[in-house]
Amino acid sequence: MRLAFILSEIGSGLRRNLSMVISVILVTFVSLTFVGAAGMLQMQINQMKGYWYDKVQVAIFLCSEGSTAAGCAGGPVTPEQQESLNALLESPAVAQYINDFQFESKEEAYKHFKDQFSNSPIVDSVTPDQLPASFRINMKDPEKYQIISETFSSQPGVETVIDQRQLLERLFSVMNGASLVAVGIAGVMIVCAILLIATTIRLSAFSRRRETGIMRLVGASKTVIQLPFILEGVIAAVIGAALASATLWAVAHFFLGEYMSQQYPDTAFISSGQTLILVPALIILGGSLAGISSLLTLRRYLRV
Amino acid sequence: MPCRVLRAMIRFENVTKVYDQKARPALDSVNLEIDRGEFAFLVGASGSGKSTFLRLVLKEDRATSGAVYVAGQNVAKISSWRVPRLRRGIGVVFQDFRLLPQKNVFANVAFAMQVIGKSRSVIRDTVPEVLKTVGLEGKEHRMPHELSGGEQQRVAIARAVVNRPGILLADEPTGNLDPTTSMGIMGVLDKINQNGTTVVMATHDDDIVNEMRKRVVELKNGVVIRDEAKALYTSMIPVVGQSRRLKDASGRDDTENRLPGEGEAQR
Repeated sequence: MRLAFILSEIGSGLRRNLSMVISVILVTFVSLTFVGAAGMLQMQINQMKGYWYDKVQVAIFLCSEGSTAAGCAGGPVTPEQQESLNALLESPAVAQYINDFQFESKEEAYKHFKDQFSNSPIVDSVTPDQLPASFRINMKDPEKYQIISETFSSQPGVETVIDQRQLLERLFSVMNGASLVAVGIAGVMIVCAILLIATTIRLSAFSRRRETGIMRLVGASKTVIQLPFILEGVIAAVIGAALASATLWAVAHFFLGEYMSQQYPDTAFISSGQTLILVPALIILGGSLAGISSLLTLRRYLRV
Repeated sequence: MPCRVLRAMIRFENVTKVYDQKARPALDSVNLEIDRGEFAFLVGASGSGKSTFLRLVLKEDRATSGAVYVAGQNVAKISSWRVPRLRRGIGVVFQDFRLLPQKNVFANVAFAMQVIGKSRSVIRDTVPEVLKTVGLEGKEHRMPHELSGGEQQRVAIARAVVNRPGILLADEPTGNLDPTTSMGIMGVLDKINQNGTTVVMATHDDDIVNEMRKRVVELKNGVVIRDEAKALYTSMIPVVGQSRRLKDASGRDDTENRLPGEGEAQR
């Protein structure tokens, strides 16, 4: 009986305050979408780290025709220089740090380049001669990059030693920045949501002050009086959280899963299934924010 | 002593209530006992402390000093989560009825039972019975705006007593009603009193008080100046309690309201 009564009170509260309830839903929807977007960006960064860090290599680029680096004063790399670099890579001093390595010739480099930029007109203006040959090294521990760099940069015939991870780090720092921005926006929006929920609950309490006054006088418990108001806010916020979850899932499924992964087939995007772990977090976050702000508002505006 | 506390439904022991430190107290050292099953009028001008008295019984406010006992319990000692239980034992009726306009008569009365978790079947049985007691048989489905003032007050009374409280507090229940309707309401309150409920009614209505011939407690400036059984609205005999009033007065009171001799006597 009491439950049925509380439910009917919630229903009438939601109906009477419909426009405010909708605005609460929308604000929590937008704020939690930003929270979720930040979460998705972090997941994407982790995903890419896991995917790329296994694949990225330290590349030793060898001198080619037009190289201007100090080590290339003697012109393009000679077969002897290449042989001695190969020997150095196989020597125990270096071999202990690397898993394996392979040589990429100018032709192979050109082929990779063509694959990578197949959609771009730049391919037509590049010839195999312009691309340097390189040794591609898979490190046992990517952190030990410095040792390889010191050993090889000064060798004759080496143009430069590049840690591809550093290129990725730059990408990741951009993505980290984006997720920080999302968190910042989410923070502001959450403050909005909290204040809006407080105002809504206050209005709702005011419009039902007759009922609550009578409930108080006939000895209704605090729970029976306050619960409908609190649940009103929580329900609105949870609906907002559900909308945010659906949006994030749709982004992961349609944008990342179908559009982006076709555009960038060699990039590992998070799957729509992975975004589902954000759902309970968003719903709990939304619900508890609403619950706490309603409770604090009621303590001020609804005497029991 | 414990015996007396139990017999008394409402008992004020030296109760003072100060709202504003600078003004005179709303109630000033009030000692009063209202027994189980009694019917008492609380009379006095506006601001004499009638409403404060009722609020203290309901624990809407705390007494500044002194103790208020309701059904043998010191209300100051009731923890806040038990206050609802205290209020379930007290029905309240107001001058402005305070019905819920969007609910019909039955639903208005049933509301008081729903919110304390009574079952649907109990509500179905009890509400018509109470409506019969207050004389509203057959009007269950009327909306409040379709009822006369007197009928609306009967609904309010039905709502106040539907949970069978031991005490019924009425704060000027006839203030908005014409004399004939008022007498009808008094009949209802008397009937409820006959069933064993203690009734305390604050009122300005001298005709009603004179007609009923019940106990009359008169307040003036927060002090009980008369407490008389089977009395009239205005006393025929010289005001009792005045001498005690002088003894108790602490001197912070407003002197201009007193008789010329009074202030002199105090000094």
